[in-house]
Amino acid sequence: MELLTGIAATSGALNSQRTRLDIIAQNIANARTTRGPDGGPYQRRIVSFESELLRSTDSANGANSPGLATVRVSGVTNDPTPGQRVNDPGHPDADAQGMVTLPNVNLAFEMVDLITASRAYEANLNVAKNSRQMAMRTLEIGK
Amino acid sequence: MAIIGSALPVSIQSLRPPLDLAPAREIFTPKGPSGLAPTGGQFGEIFEKMVSGVELRQAEAGAVTRSVLLGDNPNLHQSVIAMQEASLSFSLMVEVRNKVVEGYQELMRMPV
Repeated sequence: MELLTGIAATSGALNSQRTRLDIIAQNIANARTTRGPDGGPYQRRIVSFESELLRSTDSANGANSPGLATVRVSGVTNDPTPGQRVNDPGHPDADAQGMVTLPNVNLAFEMVDLITASRAYEANLNVAKNSRQMAMRTLEIGK
Repeated sequence: MAIIGSALPVSIQSLRPPLDLAPAREIFTPKGPSGLAPTGGQFGEIFEKMVSGVELRQAEAGAVTRSVLLGDNPNLHQSVIAMQEASLSFSLMVEVRNKVVEGYQELMRMPV
């Protein structure tokens, strides 16, 4: 018995957007990290999504209900663009010419991504809230 | 619930005029314990299934919330959604119960 239909798709979307927010937080936190575990500057990470068909557990209306597709994170990849190089001979990570490679994180881009991700999360929360309200209104028929 | 489940169909059917004696006797003859314990498809059994479904949902919501609080699951929304589903199924159950009790009381008030 599925009371809140479509909530599984929304839940998957919320999961994905939360992962995206985590990765953006990581990018912003490491905006000035010039040395990572591999010795190089931090590389910006990008989250990509893919749709995923939900396994239908509801056999009652399986024939005429369309298979809902939710979303999941397909992978977190590195942004390959080279980072900005600045002249700072006093920096511990400067090379022989006194140049330091900064991470390829652009704070303006990250802030825009942050706004998009948080708005997308909000939109999915509204879907969840709305489907609950619809069910509650339906129960009010009997009153 | 089993009392109402078994009492309702009998009281509805007993209102019909007994056109034929044989089926009427079948209805009014007590069948012993099998008459008290409703078998498949009876309302009491269906309602019991519904109650256990609601209970299962409550337990699921509790488990998810506990895992979020213990830090095993970072997804807060899963806990809230599970709680909403549990509360909604509980409301639906209460609504069904209200309707059944209302119908039973309506029959009881009926002047004979």
